[in-house]
Amino acid sequence: MQLSPESLPRRARLLPLLHAEHGRRGWLSPESVTAIAREARIPVAEAWEAATSYRDFHFESPAGKAQVCTGLSCQLAGAATEAGEAVMGCRFRCYEAPARGHDQPFPEQFIREAGPLLAPDVTDWRGLERARSVGREAALAEIESSGLRGRGGAYFPVGRKWAGALAQNRPIALVVNAEEGEPGVFKDRALLCRRPRRVLEGIAIAAELLQPAVVAIVVNGEAEAARMSLEAALASPGLPQNVDPWVVPGGGGYILGEETTLLNALEGRKPVPRLRPPYPVESGLFGMPTVINNVETLANLSVAFRDGAAAFRSSGTVDAPGTKLFSVSGQVREPGVYELPLGIRLAEVIERAGGAVSGSVTAVLTGGPSGGFLAPSEFGVALAPGVLHPTGAMVGAGGLVVLDESSDVRAAVLAMARFNAEESCGKCTPCREGSPRMLDFLRENDAGSLEPLLEVVGAASLCGLGQMAPNPLRSALHFWPELFR
Amino acid sequence: MSVRIDGREFPADGSILDAVLAAGIDLPHLCKDDNLPAIGACRTCLVEADGRVVAACSAPASSVREVLTTTERVERIRRGVLELTAAMGDPRPDLPHGPCGVQARQTFAAHAGVSNGLSRRERTAVDSTNPFFSFVETACILCGRCVAACQQLQHIGAIGLAGAGLATRVTPGASITFRESICTSCGSCVAACPTSALSPKTGGAE
Ligand code: SF4
Ligand code: SF4
Ligand code: FES
Repeated sequence: MQLSPESLPRRARLLPLLHAEHGRRGWLSPESVTAIAREARIPVAEAWEAATSYRDFHFESPAGKAQVCTGLSCQLAGAATEAGEAVMGCRFRCYEAPARGHDQPFPEQFIREAGPLLAPDVTDWRGLERARSVGREAALAEIESSGLRGRGGAYFPVGRKWAGALAQNRPIALVVNAEEGEPGVFKDRALLCRRPRRVLEGIAIAAELLQPAVVAIVVNGEAEAARMSLEAALASPGLPQNVDPWVVPGGGGYILGEETTLLNALEGRKPVPRLRPPYPVESGLFGMPTVINNVETLANLSVAFRDGAAAFRSSGTVDAPGTKLFSVSGQVREPGVYELPLGIRLAEVIERAGGAVSGSVTAVLTGGPSGGFLAPSEFGVALAPGVLHPTGAMVGAGGLVVLDESSDVRAAVLAMARFNAEESCGKCTPCREGSPRMLDFLRENDAGSLEPLLEVVGAASLCGLGQMAPNPLRSALHFWPELFR
Repeated sequence: MSVRIDGREFPADGSILDAVLAAGIDLPHLCKDDNLPAIGACRTCLVEADGRVVAACSAPASSVREVLTTTERVERIRRGVLELTAAMGDPRPDLPHGPCGVQARQTFAAHAGVSNGLSRRERTAVDSTNPFFSFVETACILCGRCVAACQQLQHIGAIGLAGAGLATRVTPGASITFRESICTSCGSCVAACPTSALSPKTGGAE
């Protein structure tokens, strides 16, 4: 039996109320935030510090401005702002760069390669039924033996994460993360828009096995189409009876990919990381042991229970079985989502995506702003969890941004440095003060000052965003030192 | 349970910072207030624990075996963080035996009044509308102690850290003055501030 969102502490209403008000008026005024704070029964200063931390919210009327995407893939496709256009950051429609205007449902034709996950959407609940019929213990053991790892970017073993929460012997919160805020990654949107029932079966299996007291699904606030598709699927007849999720639109920001930040957001607090310990599985949402899984991770549960652990293990690597959704964009002929086994070589993914638009591929950004730029000499690398190159490139959430002979590598590196500087949540000094300065030193070709700063920001920052912000710069300095002299 | 700190054994009680300070070792810890849980924002309490650089305030002493506070690497990184902090404006250590420690005092003193061209933003607000204290933003290092004291200790919630990234600022209400806010002039934030950003109007001023 799950709690309804109304039975959570009132402050949990803050983010949904802010989002609704922003949707109605297009911006938030001090007066409207003050009224919302009253309704959520939190002090105005706390509501204001939370509201003003989200990237999607405007605090002055943006009346009548057209919007243009300034994400990396759109920049590579020549997007430039014209007079009167509002800069939006990444719109997560990198597959149709340069993207303009509002959110669209993910187009089916951009699902370029489908495996078990993106096979036509499920029509029955066979996976859930199997999880039920084998019993809880056996089902948990099966997850363990399937070797499934989280797909949000950290690849933590799902079985181990769940065991950590179950060991607490208290009511659990299940948080499903579809906040998807990394430029160049659009696979959660693809899943929710095109295979919502696959996702729901995964969530239902998790709900069956974890018996959570609350299930929250956080969908990126601007991914209107994905949220509507999810809600439509939730309203369709014949749904598993055991899930009654609280669907929460997020407020935007790369930092929401950090688990404890997402928890603060759900609790109506300023979206910044918490300290660990305690870990979310010990004390997460309102103190409950909390499991946070990416939607792609949960969709994989549906596959694992339908086909069985052995079949699941038949693709991917021994250490990281299964397929991964790669979001391929940039200067590549066939951008889109590719479902391919973990461990596939980067070169093969590029080839499947039709190769470079002009000339040959000169660089690939893997793992987005926390990953790195790889030069052609590295394209033989296997895309699996762990570092792909000592400078810190990694698969992360599976974003691959391709650069070709028409692309300006230096500008792309600067774009990532700027992204990290702008997306720093501002909580800790090294990242807040250091990452904008990394951008300056890079711009000024001052590698001598940059190197020691990369060490400080990487080692001293509080969370992964700051710790990994130096990675794209390190890789660029390694492979293309001449561009920064 | 014990922990080895700079070569000597100490009881592994509380955080690494607790153990380090109990050992009589000088370590800056700008955002750790005695009366509040760790915030982990200033990143000046860095030590090397079992080979990793960690913030001492937020890691349990019992979770590590060996802590080193003066390796070349950790000193270098800590100095880097302190320089970034100094470059935020004009942070003057407030309390004579406060959380700054010798290294922070020296770094701040060396940077005082020196424009190194690194200051990142306009942090120049002055709010003297409260009858008892004033807020001088040039000295604020965004450690978050005042906000934690107001929200978690006093349960008032008059101030917050509005905005994100470089735009983060200590802000009463929804961007109003201290006087217009629900501040009760309890003085908790002033007592918590490790610099002179929040300082009493009489008596305590330097
Ligand atoms: S590393 Fe950056 S994003 Fe993470 S807590 Fe620090 S300021 Fe915020
Ligand atoms: S005013 Fe003082 S206590 Fe508050 S954030 Fe600034 S430096 Fe820290
Ligand atoms: S005292 Fe540890 S991070 Fe500030």
